[in-house]
Amino acid sequence: MALEREIIASNHPVLPVSLAVRGGDFVFLSGMTAVDPVAGSVAHGTVAAETRHILTEMARLLEAAGSSLARVVKVNVLIYSMLEYDNMNTVYREFFTVDPPARTVCGAKLIGGHKIEIDCIALR
Amino acid sequence: MREVVPVPVPGLDLRQHYGHHQSIAIRAGGLIFCSGMVAINPHTGEREHGTVTSEARRIFENLKLLLESAGSSLDRLVQVHAMIYDRIEYDVLNRLYRQYVPNAPPARTVMSVQIEAGFKVMLDVIAAA
Repeated sequence: MALEREIIASNHPVLPVSLAVRGGDFVFLSGMTAVDPVAGSVAHGTVAAETRHILTEMARLLEAAGSSLARVVKVNVLIYSMLEYDNMNTVYREFFTVDPPARTVCGAKLIGGHKIEIDCIALR
Repeated sequence: MREVVPVPVPGLDLRQHYGHHQSIAIRAGGLIFCSGMVAINPHTGEREHGTVTSEARRIFENLKLLLESAGSSLDRLVQVHAMIYDRIEYDVLNRLYRQYVPNAPPARTVMSVQIEAGFKVMLDVIAAA
């Protein structure tokens, strides 16, 4: 039986990506950076500020897809320097209070001068 | 349904030992999503820094413990993200890797990134429950 594939949010201001795609019971989000999803303006800041910006938008996007942060199963965090791990983790824990998702954090060279990029898979 | 997979042995609880705000694994929709795993002593939680080979072996052994405690196994892996500290060690990783998934290996992506606490290897997997 083929699973249903549905584009939840195709409104990326610039890139040839959908922000959220549902496949079967799961919702897959593109890597999110500190960018205003409507205006497309960049909101560079500290690791803490960028993390907060991203997770706030992620919550909104998941809710638009009929899911929520509480239904996230896996998170991938890319960070420009692992020295800033704790600055990300401190803000992160405010958004996932109970039974946090599985997560992988690694240091990588990010596009566009961002300090943090986060993607996730959630149950619908 | 979404449920947290219990930590099978105390050493693997990175949340308790190192404050990582994450569950070791989540079971949902017939799959098990595991957090990125590094070379940790499964009994004490001590970090076991070593070579790519020794770290990857420790991770696979821990992964085996975790997946089997959750009713899955290394044979049921569907996707692996293998992170190494330097791509020059790619062949070293492969040599050990093929010992643990000798038949019908899972889909895999390898990347060279900065890994927490100076580790050389981290594996992040999704398995069929």
